[in-house]
Amino acid sequence: MNVKNTIILIIINVIFFGHLSLAQEVNIYSHRQPFLINPFLEEFTKQTGIKANVVYSTKGLAQRLKAEGQNSPADVILTVDIGRLYIYEDHKLLLPINSKILNENIPSHLKSPKSTWFALSKRSRVIVTSKERVDTSKINRIEDLAEPEWKGRICSRPGSHVYNRALMASIIAANGEESAEKWAKSFVKNLARRPQGNDRAQVKAIFEGQCDIAIINNYYFGKLKYSEDPQQQEWAKTVNLIFPNQGNDDRGAHINISGGGVAIHSKNKDNAIKLLEFLSGEVSQNLYGKINFEYPVNPKIKPSAELVGWGIPKEDQIPIIKIAELGPLAQKIIDRVGW
Amino acid sequence: MVDSSLTIKKYTWASFDAWTLIPLLLSVILFGPVICLFITASGNSDGLWYHLYETVLLKYIANTLLLMIGVSVTVLILGVGSAWLVSRYEFSGRKLFDWLLMLPAACPAYLVAYAYTDFFEYAGPIQKLLRTIIGWQNAQDYWFPEIRSLGGAIFVMSCVLYPYVYVLARTSFLKSPASFYEVAKLYNKNTFFSVGLPLARPAIIAGLALVCMEVVSDFGTVEFFTVETLTLGIFNVWLGMNNLVAASQIAIVAFIFVIALLFIEIKSRASRKFSDNSQRQINEHKIHLSKFKSFISALFCLIPVFFGFILPVLLLLLHSLKTSYHQDWIKLFRVVIDTLMIAGIGAISIIVISSLTAIIAFYKGRNLLNKITDIASTGYAFPGTMLAIGILVFVGFIDKFYSLSSGVFGYQYSGFLSGTIMILILAYVVRFQAVGYGSIRSGITQIPQNLADASYMMGKPFHETMSKIVLPLLKTSIIAGGLLAFVDIMKELPMTLLLRPFNFETLATYTYQFAHDELIEQASLPALLIIIAGLIPVIFMNKYLREIKF
Repeated sequence: MNVKNTIILIIINVIFFGHLSLAQEVNIYSHRQPFLINPFLEEFTKQTGIKANVVYSTKGLAQRLKAEGQNSPADVILTVDIGRLYIYEDHKLLLPINSKILNENIPSHLKSPKSTWFALSKRSRVIVTSKERVDTSKINRIEDLAEPEWKGRICSRPGSHVYNRALMASIIAANGEESAEKWAKSFVKNLARRPQGNDRAQVKAIFEGQCDIAIINNYYFGKLKYSEDPQQQEWAKTVNLIFPNQGNDDRGAHINISGGGVAIHSKNKDNAIKLLEFLSGEVSQNLYGKINFEYPVNPKIKPSAELVGWGIPKEDQIPIIKIAELGPLAQKIIDRVGW
Repeated sequence: MVDSSLTIKKYTWASFDAWTLIPLLLSVILFGPVICLFITASGNSDGLWYHLYETVLLKYIANTLLLMIGVSVTVLILGVGSAWLVSRYEFSGRKLFDWLLMLPAACPAYLVAYAYTDFFEYAGPIQKLLRTIIGWQNAQDYWFPEIRSLGGAIFVMSCVLYPYVYVLARTSFLKSPASFYEVAKLYNKNTFFSVGLPLARPAIIAGLALVCMEVVSDFGTVEFFTVETLTLGIFNVWLGMNNLVAASQIAIVAFIFVIALLFIEIKSRASRKFSDNSQRQINEHKIHLSKFKSFISALFCLIPVFFGFILPVLLLLLHSLKTSYHQDWIKLFRVVIDTLMIAGIGAISIIVISSLTAIIAFYKGRNLLNKITDIASTGYAFPGTMLAIGILVFVGFIDKFYSLSSGVFGYQYSGFLSGTIMILILAYVVRFQAVGYGSIRSGITQIPQNLADASYMMGKPFHETMSKIVLPLLKTSIIAGGLLAFVDIMKELPMTLLLRPFNFETLATYTYQFAHDELIEQASLPALLIIIAGLIPVIFMNKYLREIKF
C-alpha cells in the first residue's frame, strides 16, 4: 500500500469514525455552555482519568438523541430548567439509575420519581429593584408586581423564555389558572418596554433608569457583581435583591434547577453514573456556588459565603416535576396575555 | 434577441437517460430531510392550532410578511442600485466600493444585532450622548427608534443581506453585452430600465429569493430583537409546549411562503431568456460622472458598507480590545482551522452537486426535471434547527438501514453518519444548495443557447460539450456560488450547534456560547474572526471576477 492510500484511509477513518476511541471516556450532550461546565469536567478527569467529550447546544439535543436511537454516542445529558429534563424523560430517552450515592446526595423532591433525572444545582427567581427609586417594603410577593402602582416601571425578558415560563407555572400551581392569568395580564400592563433581552439586560435597564423593577435569576446578580467589566459591577450596585414570597404563611421563592441524567443507549454507563455522582458530590456542589452563584442540592453542602451574604431564601417546596407538567399551560397564558 | 430555446432544446440532448438519473438521485437526498419534516408534521398536534389561531398565529404571519417586504425593498434599492453604479459609471472611490460593497456578506446578522443593540439602545452611547447634549432626563422626554423592534430587524438584516443581490446583479450587469446598451442609446431609452434591469432580472430575483429565505429562516436576530415571526413561534411551540408536531406544522407554513416565492421566480425566469451573439463586454467603457453626481454615488455606496461592515466591525474591535478576558489562543487557532476546513469541504460539495443538478437538468431535462431540482434546493427555507431535525430523522433512517446490513458482516456498528462531520456536511449541502444552485442557474440562462446547439450539430457528445463549452462559461457563476456558500457555512450557527461531533467548534458556535449570555465582550474576538475569515473569499472572489476575460 503506498503512502497516498494510507493517508486517504486515515482521513476516511477520521471523518467517519472520529468519535470512536479506545480510551476511558464519557460523552456529554450539554445545554449548558462549555465555559460553565469545563471547570467541573477538568476536575472530573483529574480525579478519575475519564475523558469527557462535549457537544453543546441550546436546542434540539433531545431530538438528536431520539433520532440517533441505538447508534447514539451520548452517555450523559446535562441541562438547565426542569422543563427540558422532563422532555427527556417524557420521550423515554433516560435510563433509570439506582445509585446509592445519588440517592443520598439529592433530596427526593429534586429528582425524577422514576429515578431518570437528578437535580444538580438550584437557582432562585428573584426580584431586583432600583435602590434609589423603589421602596422595598412595598414588594414582598411576586404577586405584588401586578399592582397598578408599578405601571410603566417593570422590565422583563420575554415570557416564553424557560425561566419565565417556569415562574408562570409556579404561579399557576399556587393560585390556579384563572388567578395566574389575571396576574399575568396586570403584570404585562406594568411593563416599561416590550419584553426583550436576557436577565443581565434587565439590570442594565434599571441602572440606566429605563425602568425600576425586574425579575432575574439570582446568579445573574453575582455574575454582574463580580464581572470583569467594571461597568457591569456598577449595574449590580444600583439594585436591591428581593426574595419574593418569604412571609411565614407564604410558599417561598420559585426555584428552578439544573440537572442531568444517563442516556438510554449509553455505551459508557458506568462512567456516566460516575460523572453524575461526581457532580452531586462535595467538590462539584461547592463549585456550583463558586463559579456560577447557584445553590447546592446536596443538603450536606452549605451554600457559598457569597450566597449566604445575600440571605438564604425560603424555597417553594412544590415538587419540581409539577412545574414541568404545567409548562405548556403556562406558555398558553403567556401567549394570551402577550408577555 | 429573445430566443426560442425551449423549442430548440427538444432537438438537442433532452432525453431520459443515465445522465438524468444524477440530478434525480441528488434531489432525493437533498429533499429527504424536508420530507422527514413533513412526516413529523403529519402527526397529531393535540388541537393546538385553535389556541395558536386565537392568540399568536396571525401576529407571527404578519410580522414575517412585514419583515420580508421591508428587507426585500431595502435590499433591492441598496443591492441593485450600488451594483448598477459600480458597473456602469466612473466616480471617485468606485474601484474601492466595487469590492467594499461585498464585505457585509461576511457579517452574520445576529452578531450585528448584538453589536447594534449595545450601541443604539437606551443605555447605549448614542442615546446617552444625545441625552447629555440636549438635556433629556429619561425615556419619556424624547423619541428614538428602538433597535429591538421590527424596524431594527429590517435594518440589520438588509445591511448584511444586500450583497446576495449585489453580487449577482453586478455579475449580470458586467456580462450584459455592450451592443444592447448601444441600441438602447440609439433609441434614446433609459439604459437601466430598458436593458440593465431586464437582463439582470433572473439574477436579481435569484438573489432576492435567497434573501427572503434567509429572512424567513433567521432565528438569531429575531430572537434577540423579540420580533415574533413564524420562526420564533416555531420555537415557542416546540420547546415551550413540548409539541414538535405543531412546530413542524408552523415550519411548513413558513416553507409555503418560500415555495410561493420560488414559484414566482421560476415563472419570471421561464418567460424571459436572453442570449447574445457578440461577446463584447462593456466593463471597459464606464460613464464618467460630474463631481456632484460622483459624490452622491459614492455616498450611496458608502451607506450599506458603513452600516453592514465598518460600524459593526469597529464596535466588535472596541469590545475585543476592552476586554481583559484571557483569550485561549491555541484553542482559538484550532477553532479557526476547523472552521475553514469544514466550510471548504462544504462549499466544494455544494458547487459540485449544484453544478451537476443545474446543468444536467437544464440541458438534458424537460420542465419536470427542472422543477424537481428547483424544489430540491429549498432546504434554505427552513429555520436551521428545524432542518437539522429533519436531517437527524433522515440520517436515522439511513443508519438504521445500514446497521441492518452490518449485522450480516458481523462487526460492531456505531452509526455511519450520526455524530460525524459527514452529517454536518450533508446538512450544509441541504441548506445552502440554493446558494450554489441559484448562482449557477442564473449563469446558465446567460449562456447563448446556440453555442450548445452548434456543438450538438457537430455531433459532440453531451459530456464533452458540457466540459469544453458550458463549464468554462459558467466559471464565474460557479466561483461566486461556491464562495457565497463558503461564507454562509462559516457563519451558520443552529445546525452546526446541534449536529456537530464531540469537542468540535466552529467560530460561530464558539462565539455563541458567550453571545447567548449577552457577554458581548468575550464574544467579540471570535466574532471578528468570523468576519475576517469571511473576507478572504470575498477578496479572492473580487480579484477573480476582475481577471476573467469574458
